Amino acid sequence: MEKEVREPGEPVVQFALLDDILNLARANSLWPMTFGLACCAIEMMAAGASRFDLDRFGAGVFRPSPRQSDVMIVAGTISKKMGPVIQMLWDQMPNPKWCIAMGNCAISGGPFEYDGQYAIVPGAHLVVPVDIVIPGCPPRPEALIQGLLLLQDKITRGEDRNLLRRFKRLGGEN
Amino acid sequence: MKVQEIERVILEKLPDTIFKRDETGKTGSSWSAVVAASGIRDAAKAFETSGFFLEDIMALDFQDTFELVYHFNCYEPGSRVVVRVLFGHDQVPPSICDIFRGAGWLEREVHDFFGISFSGNPDLRPLLLPEDADYHPLRKDFGKVSAYRKREDIYG
Amino acid sequence: MAERQIASPASQKIYSLNLGPQHPSTHGVLRILLDLDGEFIVKADPVIGYGHRGHEKMGENRIYKQFLPNTSRMDYLSGMIFNHGFALAVEKLIGIEVPERAKYIRVIASELNRISSHLLWFGTYLMDLGGFTPFLYAFDDREHILDILDSVSGSRLTYSYCRFGGVCRDVDAAFIDMTRAFLKRMAGRWADYDNLVTKNIIFINRTRDVGIIDRELSRQYGVTGPNLRACGIGYDVRKAEPYEVYDRFDFEVPTGSKGDALDRYDVRFKEMQQSCRIIDQALDHLPGGPYLSKVPQKLVPPKGEVYFAFESARGLTAYYLVSDGSTSPYRCHIRVPSFGNLNVLNEVLPETMVADAISILGSIDVVIPEIDR
Repeated sequence: MEKEVREPGEPVVQFALLDDILNLARANSLWPMTFGLACCAIEMMAAGASRFDLDRFGAGVFRPSPRQSDVMIVAGTISKKMGPVIQMLWDQMPNPKWCIAMGNCAISGGPFEYDGQYAIVPGAHLVVPVDIVIPGCPPRPEALIQGLLLLQDKITRGEDRNLLRRFKRLGGEN
Repeated sequence: MKVQEIERVILEKLPDTIFKRDETGKTGSSWSAVVAASGIRDAAKAFETSGFFLEDIMALDFQDTFELVYHFNCYEPGSRVVVRVLFGHDQVPPSICDIFRGAGWLEREVHDFFGISFSGNPDLRPLLLPEDADYHPLRKDFGKVSAYRKREDIYG
Repeated sequence: MAERQIASPASQKIYSLNLGPQHPSTHGVLRILLDLDGEFIVKADPVIGYGHRGHEKMGENRIYKQFLPNTSRMDYLSGMIFNHGFALAVEKLIGIEVPERAKYIRVIASELNRISSHLLWFGTYLMDLGGFTPFLYAFDDREHILDILDSVSGSRLTYSYCRFGGVCRDVDAAFIDMTRAFLKRMAGRWADYDNLVTKNIIFINRTRDVGIIDRELSRQYGVTGPNLRACGIGYDVRKAEPYEVYDRFDFEVPTGSKGDALDRYDVRFKEMQQSCRIIDQALDHLPGGPYLSKVPQKLVPPKGEVYFAFESARGLTAYYLVSDGSTSPYRCHIRVPSFGNLNVLNEVLPETMVADAISILGSIDVVIPEIDR
């Protein structure tokens, strides 16, 4: 068998079909943690509400406790006082876990980053490893949904390995 | 009207207060009075017994002086008044947190941002900054500052 | 209200519980250190500052126009009202005239924002108390308002719609039609909300006589807004110091009597209906003409100060700008109503139960980034 190059963090023993099924299950039932810090929290709530229903993507169950959630959506500005709290919450989340940085403040400090600022941490990537970024100030709920779908793609490793999509492409149930 | 009433009471207690009327309407208040740091407690007691509430405490950092601005208001239309206290950078003004209980947090915030200690306030922990912060951000010698002016440059 | 069985001091065990800063019901990043005796709170110490972004220092490093987006992000639920207030404050400082049409448009947008803020409060308060359905109803109505404001300003939540001298874009017939359709829709919705929530016995039991903030306590802590009006004092800045064109409209200021959570709910509910009345009258009298007056590109206000107070969805808010004759303010201070509203919890929370604490916290309607600035 050909020796494929392993990505860092990838397990040594891989069960191809089982992995794909597990990843599909994980991607389609991501449980976010309620972690709204500022304005983007309202758009996150609107994304979970009646018009832009997140529940149809499996991600509608917002868990308050980090020990029961899969994805941490950092929505809002991270102040210096809040940085250690985010670190603690990230550590409390069980693996496998992902992080979405929602909004300009979580990506790079947003409108509050200027030369000489003292109050914020300019970006969630300085505290936790971020998988998906969603720019906007605040991003529309549709943007949050697109980010979530991108995360699902990342978890299922794209079109080729996503069994459900392959099934549908080959003419399965539409 | 409570506003005229309180002016008379303040003049009784602190006879050398200077009242500045506001004709332009810009300051949103009927008059603005400068009292000494030692007289702010008497003034606050007068406001409290007359039924006013403390709207806000704010501080200004000038090159030659610190300024504390107290806004008092009562529930009638157009009854806001301003009391100012001027003191040097190393002086400690008295606290009014036992007269108006809401002043405790307001003074904590001023202490956080400017480093002004209030004598008599039992709890001056940082309110908005992290607990271990030892800097006072709104002072004009901290961070990026556009100008550091004297008081008469602005107020004449 | 449950009776507290006072244990003897020897057997009283104080248990410290940390509520927040990550909590589904703290409306932002608030942390309350509770000392509990069983389920009763002995001491409550709110810790804030987890959302401090340095708005006031930023204000000193920005020209006036650049501070406009900051204003929306302080209290993001009444972003349009904060925008409006800042534009009015700077216009007062410099002495800029605003065309009539712009005044009416700004009032309509501000009142729509007030309704959307109260609707969100309504949804999240009921969610805190355990009912998820009103949240979905409220957000559905709120989406209609957001569509209206989105069509004219380009943004759903943090608007920078007001400019010094008017608004940045004119409203068209589609805006007016959408607003009228919204008002017609809401006229039928109040009965739905009444049936769903106001007459619900569980809701009444969880809010009646809970968290009473009486007149003396309000005065000591500087409580304003619907929390103050719930205890009987009808102080509303739109009536006390009318700004813009509020003195031309006929609307009431609803008040409560006792100052408990149920009264606060009633006051906010009636305020939404009064805001609909204001929008209706404003649409009827919307004049034609320009929507933005000519203002120089480089704004240099005269030396001096301005303190402008207005009524946001949470209470009396004020901008205090000190100008030193240059293009940026010397001091930019914002007096926020949630500061006093949260401060009062130091005295209201002791002797209540933890479940009541959640109800009280939800009923006073605080937005933490507004306090933290």
